[in-house]
Amino acid sequence: MNMTDAWLLPLLPAAAFVALTLLGPWLPRKGDWLAVGAIATVFVMVLLIAADFTDALAAHGEEFAGAANSTQWLEVPGQLELRLGVHVDATTIVMLTVVSFVALMVQVYSLGYMKGDSRYGWYYAVISLFVASMLALVLADNFLLLYFAWELVGVCSYLLIGHYNHLRSAAEAAKKAFITTRLGDVGLLIAIILLWRATGTFNIQEVIAAAEAGEVGREVLTASVVLLFLGAMGKSAQFPFHVWLPDAMEGPTPVSALIHAATMVVAGVYLVTRTLPLFQLVHGGPELILAVGLLTTFMSATMGLVMTDIKKVIAYSTINSLGLMFVALGVGAPAAAMLYLFTHAFFKALLFLGAGSVIHATERQDVSSLGGLWSKMPITCVTFAVGALSMAGLPILAGFWAKDEILVALLDNKAAFALAMATVPLTAMYMARVLILTFFGDPKEPESHEHAHEGSPFIFVPLVLLAVLTVFAGFVAFDQVGELMGFPGGIGEIIFLGHPHAFHFDWNVAIGSSALVLAGLAAGWFAWAARPSVPGVCLSMLRPVHALFANKYYLDDIYQAAIDRVVLSIARLVAWFDRNAVNDTGIDGGGYTAKFAGYLMKFQQTGKMPNYALGMVIGVVALTLVAFTLKG
Amino acid sequence: MTVAQVIFYVVAALAVAGGLGVVLAKHAVYAALFLIVALIAVAGVYILLASEFLALVQILIYAGAVTVLLLFALMLTRTSDLPEAMTGAQWPVAGLVAALLGGAIIATVTTSDWPGDEDGMITRVPFDDLGSALFQQWAVPFEIASLVLFVALVGAIVLAREDEPEEEGE
Amino acid sequence: MEPVAQQIPLEHFLALSAILFSLGVYGVLTRRNAVLILMSVELMLNAASINMVAFAAYASPEKFTGMIFAVFIITIAAAEVGLALAIILRIFRNLGTANVDEVDELKW
Repeated sequence: MNMTDAWLLPLLPAAAFVALTLLGPWLPRKGDWLAVGAIATVFVMVLLIAADFTDALAAHGEEFAGAANSTQWLEVPGQLELRLGVHVDATTIVMLTVVSFVALMVQVYSLGYMKGDSRYGWYYAVISLFVASMLALVLADNFLLLYFAWELVGVCSYLLIGHYNHLRSAAEAAKKAFITTRLGDVGLLIAIILLWRATGTFNIQEVIAAAEAGEVGREVLTASVVLLFLGAMGKSAQFPFHVWLPDAMEGPTPVSALIHAATMVVAGVYLVTRTLPLFQLVHGGPELILAVGLLTTFMSATMGLVMTDIKKVIAYSTINSLGLMFVALGVGAPAAAMLYLFTHAFFKALLFLGAGSVIHATERQDVSSLGGLWSKMPITCVTFAVGALSMAGLPILAGFWAKDEILVALLDNKAAFALAMATVPLTAMYMARVLILTFFGDPKEPESHEHAHEGSPFIFVPLVLLAVLTVFAGFVAFDQVGELMGFPGGIGEIIFLGHPHAFHFDWNVAIGSSALVLAGLAAGWFAWAARPSVPGVCLSMLRPVHALFANKYYLDDIYQAAIDRVVLSIARLVAWFDRNAVNDTGIDGGGYTAKFAGYLMKFQQTGKMPNYALGMVIGVVALTLVAFTLKG
Repeated sequence: MTVAQVIFYVVAALAVAGGLGVVLAKHAVYAALFLIVALIAVAGVYILLASEFLALVQILIYAGAVTVLLLFALMLTRTSDLPEAMTGAQWPVAGLVAALLGGAIIATVTTSDWPGDEDGMITRVPFDDLGSALFQQWAVPFEIASLVLFVALVGAIVLAREDEPEEEGE
Repeated sequence: MEPVAQQIPLEHFLALSAILFSLGVYGVLTRRNAVLILMSVELMLNAASINMVAFAAYASPEKFTGMIFAVFIITIAAAEVGLALAIILRIFRNLGTANVDEVDELKW
């Protein structure tokens, strides 16, 4: 399996999607084995491609910039040539590994979790389509293909959030997610067109090379970069577009794990990583990323602290993590961002799947009605705890290494470093809270607690696998591990060839952040386990702050008001225009005009032969005269 | 002015006069008689064009048979309120259009170059050659024409026949 | 096939044909009786025949295509008159008139 064969990867799940859509109801088990088989094959192929990549790396060394393979799609001679192709470099390999592995885990998990669902076959079809689109997005060597895949994953996200289509809230959430990300997508599309007009190509590498050569005007480049980032913000749920992600938890939990934690939401991070040279060419570009990332991280941490829905807490933690990745990109540490992305995919998928296991067992997802599940569901409890602690950043777990890498990269920027450090205990605290309220203490609803039990192997085997990876995935950051895996020079070296970026470890930062994590965990333990009265006391003291957090900074209300006031008035105006100007005047008017003209013209049909004959002769004479005139 | 020229202008004048009579006569039967004049004058034109055979055919078939047929038709379609207004209301427009058409054709004719001799040299065609051409070179169209005549004959009978009494009864 | 000098230019025959044709057109457009319209049509056919024969005599005497055409025109005219008269008779029998102004079934 060569790197240049990577274009095959998206085709397999796409074929599964087509087969499931067309034949699904007639296939045994509704065709789930097709989807799972396709993604398993893809995973194996990704491993083979990674091996081929390692060989090429060993053969070419530092200057190896990845392999590309493209074919002409359509051509307007002399004006436009569109090519479709794949580009495989280290970043791509990391993303491919993450996407295919998490997708495999989630699909296996879904065999147990979605069992008996009324739209089981459709679920697997859309998941396959999602995987195909996500792989295409990751592999795309040009903006156009990337944009197609970008929109396709958006559609799949929409379909899967709205999977429980009998729930009004699910339909609303799907709509909200689609429309909110669409706001950013429009920016992305405009940016792509701007860049194409400036450089004449859609190819990402060529666009970057042209921009670095100064071929793109400063204003155009600034506008494109801002619009590009808008797209990334929408997809990666950055402030102020983050509002869709918590609502997206209406979808099935495996979907949340795959799409809204491990893969689709990091597409924005991936896009910015690929185009980071463009941002660095623009004055203030990296600062914009940094500011948005920091704001998002801090806000989501505070909101995560007060949410009561287990999935929403994890959703806010995802926004928190995504913000951190952007922070890393903002300070020019893409390797740290990719490392975080890599580890985050495992522990966040683990958290969601663990939450799914709880929901599957108890049919409750509000932490105020859970509790004490550790005895009933030990595997879920342990794996969930591993994920939560990794998210919190407890040493030796994957999240710790990645988070520290980002913090080290932030050292030069005191304010940003301080703010990032401030979110560390917050994160630890709300992860401790959700862990404690779900699995420890007394069951708040004994009845559902009674029936809780560990799920089928389909459910807990992926949990265990992901938990193992969550413990060990961080070690790839070490050069020695990298070498063991065949990646000389550590993960940073793999991710950014030509930009050597070895793993930095700073004892001071590590100890400082670990202390903060422990403090946060301890505070969480104290507040929700040791002294359950504390939260109530705090609540009474900080009621306005709690209200601010619990109402998500009133952003949803502000948006709703804006929609009601502005969008709906415009819509009413347009509707009025449509009804009166377009319908009554334009369409009906046209009809009436034709009808009236017909009424007037029917009188020329006298039915008398001489009249017709006269008309005929007049025509002949006119033609004769014309011919005579032309003859001269 | 040669004899031929004199004859031509006389015959042409007769033809035009006959035509005028056909389109202007107040009585239908007069119009038919004027038509005979015009057709015979056209036969004279044919003679001037050295086509005696055509002239004979013209007189026999047109001036004879066709005109008699037309007179029969006039007689059969006679209604009690005749003579009525023979000319329709659109005659001014029709006149203008016809005049324009004729003018345009004559203008085209006089401004064009035609093949053949300037001083009116024509070739006399013997009956024999015309006959052999008609039955050898043009044999197939001739047969088709006979078929057309046959179909017209049958069609005319079918159309003009009285309806069967039983069919009317139903 | 010896040439004869008639000393009448071809244009004169063509002009005569044009005049007869225009008269026929006028008759077709103004006459109300169907039989008279038919007569006008005969006039137009004769005008066309004169054209053909004149061209044949002046331009291509060795082929006499024009004359053959005139023969066919006369033949077809005979057929046409027979058929048209049958139609007129039929109309007269059905509608009680041969006046084309009163036959206006083709109306809106």
